[in-house]
Amino acid sequence: MSGLISGSLYATMALGLTIIYGVIHLFNFGHGIVAVLGGYFTWLLLTNAHLGLIPSIFIALVIMFFLGLILFKAAISPLLKTPTWEFSTIIFLLGLGILLENLILQAFGPRVKQIPQFFEGGLKIGFLRVNWHEISLILIVFIFIVLLNYLLKKTWFGQAMRAVAQDMEGAKIVGINIDRTFRQAFALATAVTGFSGILLATKYYMTPHIGWLWMFTGFVIVVLGGLGSAMGAIYAAFMLGITEAFITLYLGSLWVWPIWFIMFVVILLLRPQGLAGGRTL
Amino acid sequence: MILDLLNRKKIAIALGLLFIAVYPVIHGDTYIMHIFVLFFIWALVASNWNLLMGYAGIFSLGNIGYFSIGGYVSGILCKTFGWSPWLCIFLGGVASMALVTLFVGLPALRLSGIYIALLSLIFADSLPTILTQTRSITGGAMGLHDIPPLFDGITRTHSYYITFVVFLVILAIIHKTINSSTGLAFIALRDSKDFAAALGVNEYKEKIKVFALVSFLTGITGGFYVHYLGDISPTTMGIEPFLLTIAMMELGGVGRFPGAVVGAVFIVFGNEFLRLAGTLRLSLLGALICAIILFFPGGLMQFIDWIDTRISRFKTDKTPSPGI
Repeated sequence: MSGLISGSLYATMALGLTIIYGVIHLFNFGHGIVAVLGGYFTWLLLTNAHLGLIPSIFIALVIMFFLGLILFKAAISPLLKTPTWEFSTIIFLLGLGILLENLILQAFGPRVKQIPQFFEGGLKIGFLRVNWHEISLILIVFIFIVLLNYLLKKTWFGQAMRAVAQDMEGAKIVGINIDRTFRQAFALATAVTGFSGILLATKYYMTPHIGWLWMFTGFVIVVLGGLGSAMGAIYAAFMLGITEAFITLYLGSLWVWPIWFIMFVVILLLRPQGLAGGRTL
Repeated sequence: MILDLLNRKKIAIALGLLFIAVYPVIHGDTYIMHIFVLFFIWALVASNWNLLMGYAGIFSLGNIGYFSIGGYVSGILCKTFGWSPWLCIFLGGVASMALVTLFVGLPALRLSGIYIALLSLIFADSLPTILTQTRSITGGAMGLHDIPPLFDGITRTHSYYITFVVFLVILAIIHKTINSSTGLAFIALRDSKDFAAALGVNEYKEKIKVFALVSFLTGITGGFYVHYLGDISPTTMGIEPFLLTIAMMELGGVGRFPGAVVGAVFIVFGNEFLRLAGTLRLSLLGALICAIILFFPGGLMQFIDWIDTRISRFKTDKTPSPGI
């Protein structure tokens, strides 16, 4: 059960990375800090502006979307035009991550922050105890994935993104504005990542430093699922969530990382394209 | 004019080395000497990283992990068995080489680009958990303390000169490698893999070679670091040393030989000054990294080249041409 919950949380987290990699072929090393920012914005709106939970999440997501637009316009798109973009964007985003992390630390302090749960209480079935909050999380993630799927498959905006992801030259020929699609994809992924940060903050807790951990988890998931494949990322997220639960139960939580590393190496060697490799978005 | 005959850059390097060599004699402040020792060590880590990333084009992000393996193995061997620190440092380098080549180098043969980056990053990131798990040997999260120094009764000046010599020797090895046929093979592979393979460069052999060399040298550097400071903990593998080293490499210029050393001068000394800024130090560092990449992609080496050409042009303008 706990595996299912963390699996669904990891799935939203990995989707942000997948969208960016699938469309732009850029590996987002600023992923963790974006998720943390989403959580902090929500927390800020909740405690300082005294808004309800749902409005503050919504406003935080809108803010994240525009932040993504600005970041792409200001920094990523000029960097993508340089010949060494693959290297320089990674280092840039790492630098940005440490900058924002310490600014958050400066502004809000190192104390643990938590976003309140959606529902209090829980129910008991035999020896199994489940919180309503955790069930609602799984449902929310499921609805979210369906919505995102609709957005990507049915709307013009999403179709343009998938076209660019599958064949950039072809997309250019049929008149899709590549630069605009990149920008929108980056902004959308920023919002999705921010949303995953919010969900994680309701389940666990949040400090300025937690983003790196979330980010590395996200990396393992997207590589397992195959870079740029949304379905693969979702499968991989549930798989890792469940293995994590088993490792924690039988060996202790400290073994999660070494075992993930071994799984990572084995999958990379046997199937470098990932579990559902080859397909894009 | 002897100044024109010699390369200006060579003169600058010679003067810099001379200054470092005589510093303990003429001034000899222990705190500044300590920072110099740190500078030697981090400059080596950054230079090795630069060899792997800038020359061989292998996108590794785990070099701090290689460094810590060397340090930990050397510290543990020396402390528990009481062997000579020199032997332990060598064994630490060997251990780092073996582990890294096995877990990162061999899988990396089949991978490219971003996958190697992720693999090495996750490799380095799973080390701290292993360390905290094996508390009885490695001291867990508290780290390893009271590691014996290189020899009894060592003074700051001794360590200064020892690390200085190590610094020169390893830099000479890196320089030699870059200019040897191996280095040429790296550069050929980085710039055009297919063409290099067509000319008979064995990609697998060269990749393993560069991984082994870099991890060995980084591990040895780690050994010296541990025996100099006397302790090591999982914090050494934290995000801060990682970013500092990346900043050194980036500031100096990726893929330029003394670049990482030039960057290290600025970052190590700048970092000490920034301690005045308190908790804002890391933010400033992050901002610096972003700014360099956006506005200064060539790093300081490009800036030095630019000044060099400016001076040359200035000189040729002043000398009257014989025709008039």
